[in-house]
Amino acid sequence: MPMLVAEGLTKKFNDVLAVDRVGFEADAGEIFGLLGPNGAGKTTTIRLIATVLSPTEGTAWVCGFDIVEESQEVRRNIGVLTTDIGAYDRLTGRENLRYFGELYGIYGDRLEKRVKEIGELLEILDFIDRPAGGYSTGMKQKLAIARSVIHDPSVIIFDEPTSGLDVLASQTVLGFMKKAKEMGKLVVLSTHQMSDAERLCDRAAIIHKGKILTVDTIANLKEATGSAHLEDAFLELVGAEPVKVMR
Amino acid sequence: MKTILTIWKKELKDNIRDRRTLMAMILMPLVLMPALLIGMDKLVNYQRERSKERTARVAVDKDASASALIDFLKSQKKIEVIGVEGGPEKGIRDGKADIGIIVPADFQDRIKSGAPARITLVQDSTKMESQESLAKVNLAVSAFSGRIIEGRLNSSGVDNRLLTPITMATKDISTAEERGGFGLGFFLPFFVIIWAIVGGQYIAIDVSAGEKERKTLEALLLTPAKRLEIVLGKFFAVSTTAVVSVVVSLTSLYVALKVFGLGPMTGALESGQAQGKALAAAGADAAFSIEPLAILVMLGVGLLLVLMFSAILLSIAIFAKSFKEAQNYIGPAYLVAIMPAVVMNAMFGFKPTDWFYAIPIVNAMLLFKEALMGSYVVSHILITAVTLIVFAIIAILVAGRIYSQEKVLFR
Ligand SMILES: Nc1ncnc2c1ncn2[C@@H]1O[C@H](COP(=O)(O)OP(=O)(O)O)[C@@H](O)[C@H]1O
Ligand SMILES: [Mg+2]
Repeated sequence: MPMLVAEGLTKKFNDVLAVDRVGFEADAGEIFGLLGPNGAGKTTTIRLIATVLSPTEGTAWVCGFDIVEESQEVRRNIGVLTTDIGAYDRLTGRENLRYFGELYGIYGDRLEKRVKEIGELLEILDFIDRPAGGYSTGMKQKLAIARSVIHDPSVIIFDEPTSGLDVLASQTVLGFMKKAKEMGKLVVLSTHQMSDAERLCDRAAIIHKGKILTVDTIANLKEATGSAHLEDAFLELVGAEPVKVMR
Repeated sequence: MKTILTIWKKELKDNIRDRRTLMAMILMPLVLMPALLIGMDKLVNYQRERSKERTARVAVDKDASASALIDFLKSQKKIEVIGVEGGPEKGIRDGKADIGIIVPADFQDRIKSGAPARITLVQDSTKMESQESLAKVNLAVSAFSGRIIEGRLNSSGVDNRLLTPITMATKDISTAEERGGFGLGFFLPFFVIIWAIVGGQYIAIDVSAGEKERKTLEALLLTPAKRLEIVLGKFFAVSTTAVVSVVVSLTSLYVALKVFGLGPMTGALESGQAQGKALAAAGADAAFSIEPLAILVMLGVGLLLVLMFSAILLSIAIFAKSFKEAQNYIGPAYLVAIMPAVVMNAMFGFKPTDWFYAIPIVNAMLLFKEALMGSYVVSHILITAVTLIVFAIIAILVAGRIYSQEKVLFR
């Protein structure tokens, strides 16, 4: 069974059908895109998979664990970078990481080693012992990434990881995703920024109004819609008229 | 279990670095309790001295014939007679006098002839000085009246003592401890209730609504920590802070009592009643002390109160989206918590049945009073403990439920 499988995943908020029978498969060693405009249902889909929301219908499996039946195991195997990158401002970066490490069941020397390892990887050791309240957005984003992977999960999901970041900070985030892929993780990138997706993703699901329109490799998506860029392919798929510009 | 400990430690560390929590937890109870005690003591003393020392200004009509009564009033130490143009009423209105006295022109003649004479005291009951002055003049007129009677009886050869067939003496059988407990029992429970809430309030909001506001909640919910573990960890952090604040307030109060004594405080709270004055006199010189057992009972009850309040605060604060919203919810909660205490204190000499010990907060108030008076009833303590614990557990379970509600967490 692939590392992440969604099947008929559905979420209704009162009368709003936020996620409508979403199904896809993604496996270790790839960066899988979840692409759609704002309000498409990306965040809700991620929250369902990460078990902080329960599905109205359908289910998903993370590393073979059912999100409804085995939510504890699912959480241990999944790391999510949420859109909200808030940290505990009165604690230092290290204290923030230790807290989450312990919540994931990592203690003592193992925890210290892991904090150092992830700190080096994300280049946060310079400021890790300063209170997080004084961090810039970029620093906070790196800390948030470190926090979400402190338990070394097999599946890493990034929800709009570059929103609000400048080019340099975005570069670090995208770089980390590549590294994670090389380490054999499954990386899911949820974004509305087609340029990021085009550069990084191996395959992608296009989601619109809660429904998956198509799942394919980036090359196939472009070919099928006869577009030179993923953005045009995307616009074609969601039924909008692409703006033809001279390039 | 380990998770609860992790959350407890983190929330305490995080909040101890917050000035507001530190203030509410340690500084306020430490300073406020003795300050209040000493302040009230001084205020009461000052008020009492002032009203004793004050001279009553009595207005009479400038043209009124001088009578023996006016002369007598003039001879009194704390009474000043002021002749006013246009009559006593005008004198009071113009603020020249506190009260006025109208002595009719035929007053002297009627006294001489043995006919009843009538005078009128004029007052403005909306003025504070009016009552004090009235009492002083009343006393003086009575004394003057007594003199006339004495004179009349003497001239007809009757023994004075016939007039006072009964003389009274009072004897107070309450111990210094009881008197102290009585006065302290009046305000101490308020303080414990208030600190049990105030001490935990900021941290309760910080760990729940604050976490939503700072956008850290979702990351916490993503961890394998169970919702009930999260709530318990936070609950213990809130309780710890509130307990510290209650202990600090009780300790500083105890030290303040040792150093400054109870003073006339006891009487002040009962002022106006003869009984109060007797208590005050006794309280002033009584070496008041609180028994160790009383402290133990109070700490125990305080702890249980804290557990209950912490759980309630937490469930209220989880509901809120932001710090501000949480404070808006918690404000009225104070009223609900303090209300029974106020009502209880208003009911003077009230004898509760066992059922009253099953009402949270009310039962704590009652137990405090009992402990301070050196009375320990096992059934009362047991009913109180069980009630408070049951309420605390219900509140924690409710908080746990709320933490599992998608609607409350993601709004
Ligand atoms: N907690 C919630 N309650 C009600 N409606 C929600 C909630 N969360 C999301 N929605 C709705 O579900 C739809 C999908 O939202 P979301 O998953 O955040 O989209 P995306 O992340 O793709 O921008 C939107 O219409 C949004 O308004
Ligand atoms: Mg989103």
